[in-house]
Amino acid sequence: MSATDNALAEQAVRGRAAGRRRTGGRSWTFYVLLALFIFYVIALYGPMICIYILSFQDVRGGLVFPMKGFSLHWFVDLFTQVRTGDVKGSFDRSFKLAIIVTILTVVISFMSGLAFRKRFRGDTIVFYLMIGSLVAPGLVLGIGIGLIWSYLGLEASWYTSALGAQLSWTLPFGILVMFAVMSRFQNAWEEAARDLGASPMQTIRLVVLPIIAPGLIAVALFGFTLSYDEFARTLQTAGSLNTLPLEIWSMTLNVTSPSLYSLGTVTTIISFVIIGVSLGAIYLIQKRRAARVAND
Amino acid sequence: MVCLSTHEAHSETGDIRMSKGKGHTGHKNGSGGGKISRRQVLKGAAAVAGVAAGSGAITGFPTIWAQEIKDIELRHVGVSYSVVKAIGDQASADLGFKVTMQNLDTSAAINRFITQPNTVDIPDLEGWQAKLATRRGVLQGIEVAKIKEFDNFLPIFTKGEFEGSVVSRQGISPYEAMYVESKDATEIHEGVTEWATNLPQVYNADSIGYRPDLVVRPVTQWKELIDPAYKGKAAILDVPAIGIMDAALCFESADLIKYGNKGNMTKEEIDFTINKLIELKRDGHFRATWTTFDQSVQLMAAGEVVIQSMWSPAVAAVRVKEIPCTYAAVNKQGDKEGYRGWCNGLGLMRHLEGKKLEAAYEYINWYYTGWQGAFVSRYGYYSPVPSTAQKFMTPAEWDFWYLGKPSPEVVNDPYGVPMEPAGTVRDGGSFIERVTNISCWNTLMDEAAYMNKRWNDFKVA
Amino acid sequence: MALSARMKRNVTGWALILPLVLILIPFFVLPIIGVAVTSFLESDGFGGIIPNFTWDNYLTLFSSDLTFNLYWSTVKFTFFTWVFSLFFGFWVAYFLVFHVRNQLFALGLFLLCTVPFWTSNIIRMISWIPLLGKEGLINSALLAAGIIDQPLEVLLFSSLAVVIAYVHQLTIFMIVPIFNSMARIDKRLVEAAVDAGASKFDVVRLIVLPMCKSGIALGSIFVVSIVMGDFFVVKVMSGGGTASVVGAFYEDIGVLQYPSAAASAILLTVIVFLMVVAILRTVDVRKELS
Repeated sequence: MSATDNALAEQAVRGRAAGRRRTGGRSWTFYVLLALFIFYVIALYGPMICIYILSFQDVRGGLVFPMKGFSLHWFVDLFTQVRTGDVKGSFDRSFKLAIIVTILTVVISFMSGLAFRKRFRGDTIVFYLMIGSLVAPGLVLGIGIGLIWSYLGLEASWYTSALGAQLSWTLPFGILVMFAVMSRFQNAWEEAARDLGASPMQTIRLVVLPIIAPGLIAVALFGFTLSYDEFARTLQTAGSLNTLPLEIWSMTLNVTSPSLYSLGTVTTIISFVIIGVSLGAIYLIQKRRAARVAND
Repeated sequence: MVCLSTHEAHSETGDIRMSKGKGHTGHKNGSGGGKISRRQVLKGAAAVAGVAAGSGAITGFPTIWAQEIKDIELRHVGVSYSVVKAIGDQASADLGFKVTMQNLDTSAAINRFITQPNTVDIPDLEGWQAKLATRRGVLQGIEVAKIKEFDNFLPIFTKGEFEGSVVSRQGISPYEAMYVESKDATEIHEGVTEWATNLPQVYNADSIGYRPDLVVRPVTQWKELIDPAYKGKAAILDVPAIGIMDAALCFESADLIKYGNKGNMTKEEIDFTINKLIELKRDGHFRATWTTFDQSVQLMAAGEVVIQSMWSPAVAAVRVKEIPCTYAAVNKQGDKEGYRGWCNGLGLMRHLEGKKLEAAYEYINWYYTGWQGAFVSRYGYYSPVPSTAQKFMTPAEWDFWYLGKPSPEVVNDPYGVPMEPAGTVRDGGSFIERVTNISCWNTLMDEAAYMNKRWNDFKVA
Repeated sequence: MALSARMKRNVTGWALILPLVLILIPFFVLPIIGVAVTSFLESDGFGGIIPNFTWDNYLTLFSSDLTFNLYWSTVKFTFFTWVFSLFFGFWVAYFLVFHVRNQLFALGLFLLCTVPFWTSNIIRMISWIPLLGKEGLINSALLAAGIIDQPLEVLLFSSLAVVIAYVHQLTIFMIVPIFNSMARIDKRLVEAAVDAGASKFDVVRLIVLPMCKSGIALGSIFVVSIVMGDFFVVKVMSGGGTASVVGAFYEDIGVLQYPSAAASAILLTVIVFLMVVAILRTVDVRKELS
C-alpha cells in the first residue's frame, strides 16, 4: 500500500471512530449546549417566577418584593373583579380574539403560500403590500382604520375592526413562514401523487398538509402570540371593550392590581396542563401503535 | 313647588310631594351606609341632595321611566384614575341603566373622541382636551340649568375665583375651558354662560413626593428636586406636557428664569427649560423618568429615588408599604412655588339625544350626589361639590382628607385596606390651603409640537 | 374552450390570494394612503387638517438632529437585540434538533419555551421590576451569594434593561424559523460529513448554517420589524433614558398633531421596508419557492 492509501485508511478509521463516539456517549458540545439551553429556559422563566411568587400575596400586596403575606386573595379578586380594571372580561376577549386570529391566520397563510408557489399576475405587488403591512407602524394604522369605520358609520369592535387590524399584522408573519416551509417542499412528491391518480384536493390533504404540518404549527404559534399581545393596532380599533393589553396598559396609570400576576399564574397552570395532556396523549398513541406493529 | 308627573306615580304608591321629603323613603332600602336608591334620586328626596340644593324646588328634572331606560347603556371613556369601574358599577346600581367604563390612556382617549365620536357617550376630559374636542365639534354643550348641584360647585370652576382671589390662569384652568356660547358652539367662550363643555368631577393639586427619612431637610420648594444633594436620586415623569411644567416650577423656584406663562411657554422658554433638563440628565441627576404609576411607587419605595414628581395615590401606595413618604406642601411664596393643578371633567358627545341624552344628564347629576366624591377622596382627589361628598365620608375621613386635621382613626384606601395610622395629618394641609396655592394647570401649549420635539431631545440625550 | 395554462394559473392564484388581499386593502392599504396624504397637509393646531399641500412636515423631519438621534438609538437596540436573539435562537434550535434524541421530548422542551408567551407581554413587562430592581430577585440573589456588595442599578431603567426585555420577548421568533430549517437537514448528511472527518465546527459552518439561511433571514425580519416598530418596551424599561422613533410620534398623536406624526410614520415605514427587502435579497425567499 502507498503512503496516500495509508493516510486515507487512517482517515477512514478516525472517521468511523468518531462516528462510534457519536452514537455512544455524549461529547463535550452536548454539555455546553445543554448548559446554554438551561440558562435560556431559566432566563425565560425569570420574570415568570416573580409573577408566580408574588401572585400569592394577601390584600396588602403590591407588584414587587418584599412579599406581603400569603393568601389566595388575588386569585379570588381575579374572578370576582373587586378592584379597578376588568381583567377577566378583557382576558376573555383577548383569548377568543387570539383563537379566531390564529385559525384565520393559519388558513389564509396556507392558501397564500399555495398561491405564491406559482407565479401569477400581480403576485409581486401583493407580496410587497404584505411586507408593507408588516413594517407599517400599528399606531397610525389603527387610527386610520378607526377613521374609516367611523366614516362608514360602523362601530368598531374587537371582533370586527380589531380582528382585521390584527390579521394585517399576523398574516405577513404567517405567510413568510409558509414561504420558508414550502421552499423545502419537493414538487416531485406532488407530481408523484398526481401520477398515482390523486385529485388536487386529495394531493393537498394527503401529501402537502402532513409534510408542512410543523410549519403550520409555527404559524399558529406566531398568530396566537402576536394577537394576544397586540397593542398598537388594537388601541384604536377595539371599540368600547378593551382587550387585555389595552386594559393593563390603562391600569398602569393608576394603582395596578396584583391580580395581573394571578392571571399569569393561572394561564401558566392551564398551559402546562394542556401541554402535559397533549404530549401524554401523543405518547400513548405512539406506544400503542408500536405495540400493534410489534404484535403483527 | 314641583310635582313630578303622573308617570312617576305609575311606579310609586301614593302622592309624591317634594316639600318635606320625609316618609317616602320607606319602601326602598334606607340610605344607611351611603347607598342611595334611584328612586330617591328621582324624587329628589332631602335625604340625598335636597338639603345641599337648598330650596328643593328642582326644575326641569327629566322624567325617566324604569322600563324605558333599562336598556340604555352609557359608555364612559377615560383614564383609569378618573373613570373607575367601581364608580360605574355603583351608578348602574343606583340609576337602573347600565354604565360601562372603559379605560384608555390620555393620548388614546382624546384620539378616540376625535376620530370615533360615535363610540363614546361620556368622554372624560381635561381642560385642554375639552378645548380640542370643542373645536372639533364632537361635543355638545351641557345645559348647566339641568345640573342640580351646579350652584354648589366651587367657584374655582364656575367663576375662576376662590375666596376673593383669582385662580391661576397659567396653563389651561378648568374655568377657562369650561364655557361655550351655545349648545353647538365650536369655540370656547371666555366668561360665564349657560352651556358648559365639561363639568369637573375630580381634581387635585400635585407636587413632589419625597422620603422624609432620606432627605436633607423637609421639602417646601420645587428647587429641591434639582438640588445637587440629590444627584442620581431624583426623577420626573415622562409625559411631556406635565414634565415640562414640573421642571419649570423647579427652575422658577431656583430663580433661574421667570416664565410668562408656565402653561404656555414661548420657544425660548421651552429651549431654556429643555436645555437645562438635558444638562441635569447628562450630569446624572435623574435616576429615571417614570412612565407607569407603579414605577413611581417602586422607585420611591426601594429608595432608588429620594425625591420625584409624584401623584397623590402613589404617595399613599408607598405609605401602605410602611415606608415613609411625604407629599411636599409647596405653597406659593410670592411669585414662585405653588402646586400644579389638574382637573378631569365629564362631557357629552354630540350624538347623544332623546332618552339617552336624558339618561346622560341623570348620570352627570348622580356624580355630584356624593358617592363618587367620597370614593375619589380616598385616593386623595377632591370633588367639586365637597358638601355632598361629605355626606358619604365618615367624619374622621372628612377631617383627614379635606380639613387637613389629624385623623382620629386609621385611614383606609378606597378598597378598605388600611393606609394611615391614626393621628397622621394629610400632607399639605387642608383642601382650601392646597387648592388656593395652585400655580399652574395641566395644559396644551401653542407650541406643543415644538415642545414634544424638544422633550424627545431630552430623552435621547 | 379550455383555459390556457397561464390563465388558469392566474385564476387559481387570485382565488387563493383573495382573502389576503381582502384583509390588506381595508386594514393596510387604505389607512396608509390616508396617512401618506395627511403627511403632506397642515395641522390647524386643534387636531384638524387644513388641506394645504406642504413639504414642511418632511422638511422638519429631515432637517432636525432629533430624527437622526432617534433612528440611531432605535437601530442600536435593533442590532443588539438581533445579535443576542440570533445567538440564543440558533444554539437553542441546534440543541433541540441535533442533541435531543427523542422527538417527543424535543417537542416538549420546545413547548416549555413557549409557555411564558401565554402570559400577556405587558404583564411580563411589569414583572421585570421585581426581577431586576434593586430589591429584586437577581440583586438579592447576587448579594446573598456575596458576588456583589451593592445592588446593580444598571439592570433596570437602562438600555441594558431594554435589550434584555427585547431578547426575552423575541428569541422565540428566531428559534421557530431556525428550528424549522434545521429540522429539514437530512441527518445522514451530517453523519456522512463526520465520517469523512469533518469536525463539529465544520459541520456547523459548512452544512447547518447555509441550510438555515432562510430561517435566520426570517427570524431577522421578524426581530427587525418588531423592534423598529415598538415603543412601549423602550418607554417602560429605559426609564426615560432613551426614546424611540415610534415613541416620539406617539407623543405627537397625543396632542393631535397628525401631519407631523404621519410624516414620521411614513418615513419609518419606508426605512424598515428597505431593511426587510435587503434581508430578503440575501436569501431570495421567493426564488426558493418556484
